[in-house]
Amino acid sequence: MQLIEKLTVLADAAKYDASCASSGAPTRSSKGKSGIGSTSGMGICHSFTPDGRCVALLKILLTNFCLYDCQYCVNRRSSDVPRARFTPEEVVTLTIDFYKRNCISGLFLSSGIIRSADYTMEQLIRVAKLLREEHEFRGYIHLKTIPDADPLLIAEAGRYADRLSVNIELPTEASLIRLAPEKQVRTIKQAMQSIHLGESEARAEVRAPRFAPAGQSTQMIIGADATDDSTILHTAASLYDNYRLRRVYYSAFSPIPQSPNTVPFEAPPLLREHRLYQADFLMRGYGFEASELLTGPGNLALDIDPKLAWALNNREHFPVDLNRAEPAMIARVPGIGVLSAKRLVALRRQRRIRFEDLTRLRCALEKAKPFIVTQDYRPLQASRESLLLRQQLSETPAQMALW
Amino acid sequence: MHSAHFDGSFAGWRDTARALLRQGLAPHQVNWRGDGDRGGLFDQAPSPVNTSPAAEAPRIPRQLLALLQSAACFRVEDRWSLLYRILWRVAQGDRAAMLPGDIDGSQLHKRLKAVRREAHHLHAFVRFHPRPEPVEGPHLVAWHEPAHDILHSASEHFVERLGRSTWLIATPDDGIYWDGQHLHYQRPCPDGWQRLAQTPEDDGQALWLAYYGSTFNPARLNRSALENSLPVRFWKNLPEGPLIPQLMSQARAGAQRDGQAAAVAQQAGKSIRRSATKAPQVSENVDPDHPH
Repeated sequence: MQLIEKLTVLADAAKYDASCASSGAPTRSSKGKSGIGSTSGMGICHSFTPDGRCVALLKILLTNFCLYDCQYCVNRRSSDVPRARFTPEEVVTLTIDFYKRNCISGLFLSSGIIRSADYTMEQLIRVAKLLREEHEFRGYIHLKTIPDADPLLIAEAGRYADRLSVNIELPTEASLIRLAPEKQVRTIKQAMQSIHLGESEARAEVRAPRFAPAGQSTQMIIGADATDDSTILHTAASLYDNYRLRRVYYSAFSPIPQSPNTVPFEAPPLLREHRLYQADFLMRGYGFEASELLTGPGNLALDIDPKLAWALNNREHFPVDLNRAEPAMIARVPGIGVLSAKRLVALRRQRRIRFEDLTRLRCALEKAKPFIVTQDYRPLQASRESLLLRQQLSETPAQMALW
Repeated sequence: MHSAHFDGSFAGWRDTARALLRQGLAPHQVNWRGDGDRGGLFDQAPSPVNTSPAAEAPRIPRQLLALLQSAACFRVEDRWSLLYRILWRVAQGDRAAMLPGDIDGSQLHKRLKAVRREAHHLHAFVRFHPRPEPVEGPHLVAWHEPAHDILHSASEHFVERLGRSTWLIATPDDGIYWDGQHLHYQRPCPDGWQRLAQTPEDDGQALWLAYYGSTFNPARLNRSALENSLPVRFWKNLPEGPLIPQLMSQARAGAQRDGQAAAVAQQAGKSIRRSATKAPQVSENVDPDHPH
């Protein structure tokens, strides 16, 4: 099989993993050195495909031969897909060629499970080691961690990789048992714990060797099972707490060819995925708790964003006086982000905030208007019922994809 | 109205602005003539500015100068008046002029954001073409069309990224060449550089194009998200540019049913048999450990 044919198959096999971040790595430079590659902490999206997703890393599987039969996965052993396997040298060649062309900032390597978890993990590590040691590659490396692999192998992977990730796959244990019979929540969480330990040890000692400095992430598939958003967000929150994950990725389940009956064959729930990312962002960046965003079981609203939904359910906190309120409370106003909140606080040290200042800061005024007070403005709608406000502010439903 | 002539560079503007500030010339009294903007007019005699008056040197925060320098990269008909107005206001003690919530400050920050974004676009969307070995001059060449004057200030990134490889980036206005030791910046861009960058002898793009087509998920087609992140003006200089409309129309014409790339769907598949007790086997005699 030609290299280009393998690449075609193994990129297709890897694309269902949503992660593409190339950020968070320490500063590395190749200026005046042999070898190639740099990282600056900031990620770079080198291209975008027509699905709107970024291409930051060469995202491929080492092989899509797999012993497991996870129902949601295009590479499950019962799936009738073309199969291929790269040699480690081929992956190195592709990575360096694409990197020189400035098409990518690094490599995200994963694999189907072949022979055993340990053997598969060893193969992934070999590629990273080749890149780092023989080719002095200083770009970004993200390695997928095989849950049942020996913790010593995970420790070794952490020395070469900027980021490690273990996929939790599904939000509940029951779904995992039903759809991914060979995987176990216990070993997935053990692997997360090994990575978390490695990170903590590396941070505790100044001279300790580097260990996955860009931390760990995970992915949850949305819509392959019937789990609701409330459960999903609580699972994510506990993963952030327990293992200090940098990111939880939510991947709307895309229908796969020869779909088994156990999973839906429907358009991926993209808007639901979008709302989950918004809610996740509110938990990581704005200090919201999962239980504030969804107070009981159920899903996030699709017609309004989760911050607006929270504000409508908590009218007692509003309107917020932008000339007096705590910065954290300003950031909770719909339509005003963390950055705008900071800028408002800087501005009010110079003078009183007026309504037109919000226009200049490009806040989403329609959303913010009912919830704020400035020197020259009080909302007429302050007393309006939440239900009416919601009707007024809900986004017009987008046309569904036609198929 | 005072006409302030200078060479169009930031250093030239700064010197002139400092002198005008000492003379107490208010923003509305000054007409800025940065004739050097397009290059080639350097030799026009700048009208001398009187630098003698007794007024003390204006006191401005150091950080403001960095902001103004960066905002000066923003291409606009009259890029200098706003900068002088802000400098003037801050020198008068009105520091709100620097803040994004201010009427002038918001313009300044809009320009700063556009300039930062354009530097980022350079780092992201430049595509180098390796030249066939052995080769004299740069090993990697790229043609890029930035919307603002960011090439000079934003190119150090590639020195760190590419180590000892030599490279050249040419644009319609300027060019920059790393010879392995030093950066050479030229404005206007020499014809030779432009020719080298616009006609690369590179036949190695097929792998990248195959990757791009395969990593796209047609079931998630989303044109507006694409265009927000990858503005259409860049498509023509990206090797994957011509693929974009092609992939979109394929997806709309039915490939959107599931996520698989057309090139993969055409190939024969292999499911893997696994006996209950023994090591797994692969159908059609393909051993996963010894692929063909």
